[in-house]
Amino acid sequence: MMLSRLALRALAPAGLKSSVALPSLSPGMIQISRSLHTSQQHLAPVPSRPETGGKVRHGIIPEEFFQFLYPKTGVTGPYMLATGLTLYLLSKEIYVVNHETVGGAMVLGIIIYGVKKYGPSVAAFADKLMEEELARYENLKKAYIARCEKGIENEKKQQWRAEGHHYLFDAKRNNIAMILETNYRERLLAVSREVKKKLDYQVALQQLKRRMERDHMISWVEKSVWQSVTAQEEKESIAKCILDLKALSKTARASL
Amino acid sequence: MAGRRAALKAIDWAAFAERVSADQKPMFNALKSRSDGIAAKLASLPETAPGIDWAFYKTAVVNPSLVDEFEKKFKTLQIPQPADTETAKINAQEKETAKNAADFIQASKARIVKYEEELQELRNMIPFENMTYEDLPEKFRDPTLNPEKYPYWPYKLTSDL
Repeated sequence: MMLSRLALRALAPAGLKSSVALPSLSPGMIQISRSLHTSQQHLAPVPSRPETGGKVRHGIIPEEFFQFLYPKTGVTGPYMLATGLTLYLLSKEIYVVNHETVGGAMVLGIIIYGVKKYGPSVAAFADKLMEEELARYENLKKAYIARCEKGIENEKKQQWRAEGHHYLFDAKRNNIAMILETNYRERLLAVSREVKKKLDYQVALQQLKRRMERDHMISWVEKSVWQSVTAQEEKESIAKCILDLKALSKTARASL
Repeated sequence: MAGRRAALKAIDWAAFAERVSADQKPMFNALKSRSDGIAAKLASLPETAPGIDWAFYKTAVVNPSLVDEFEKKFKTLQIPQPADTETAKINAQEKETAKNAADFIQASKARIVKYEEELQELRNMIPFENMTYEDLPEKFRDPTLNPEKYPYWPYKLTSDL
């Protein structure tokens, strides 16, 4: 693992020369200038990742191993092979059972116990992390889609609004027509009012003239009557009036 | 006496109001109240001037020839129509606005096309479950995954490979 990384790091500056300038890692190293991708690029869609691992037997041995041996040895073949191999290793003392075997068995047991006990919860936790990340990206995608849809809707509404400009100009023309009409009517009204005023003036003038003539006549007649009345006649008439009043007051009291 | 000068085009104010955006509402309201004021003033004036009772004046005024003269002159009097100088301006304005609106609609349609392309791209994307970590930043660019600022192996842009 480390070695391969080192190799890649050695390769990296070759591709880097054009785009990003990094200090050369080791000046003594041979700079191999070649692309790592020798085959043509495959543009086919990436096959989807398998959800779970391959099928295994006994928790660790791949099913393919049994499938491979089945035509030659039948169902029991792999087990025979395992038993035989173990016996061979033990009998020839290639594998020596010593204290380390016991230790190894115990470590294995602890590992199995740990996997059985904590495996599901760890898996659930990892799944949860992944779900969260997926959900985050899904939400982001949804937000992008919603933004686009909203944008389209908005644009359509704006277009619809822009198409409504004729309302404004209809209203403006209407207003002008109405103002002109109002103006015209006002003129008509003013003309007829003025004419009527003039005629009314004539009538009023006549009436005034007649009233003044009458008033003048009345005052003239009154004046001449007063002139004809003498002081004696006035005295008599006042005395007569007083007598009349007295008589009237008596009758008025009686009637009460 | 002339009747109505021009037939007024009925305006659907409700439909007009719907088309006005929120930021232009005050302007619209001002126009509406002004138009209503003008219409009310027009409605308050009689269509033809109230007639003059000539017969009454002929009897009331001592000199009927004066009334006759008034009548004759009044009947022959032509009241000038007020000149319309604004409609032409408004028509020109309308033409310009129509042009602007058409331009705007064109631009808007272009924008819609762009939006639709983006939508198409988003909808046809590989499901996130099947993406690799190289696929992801093509659309959902994490700012920390900027290969120009923070280069990572193989220190080349994907397009250069």
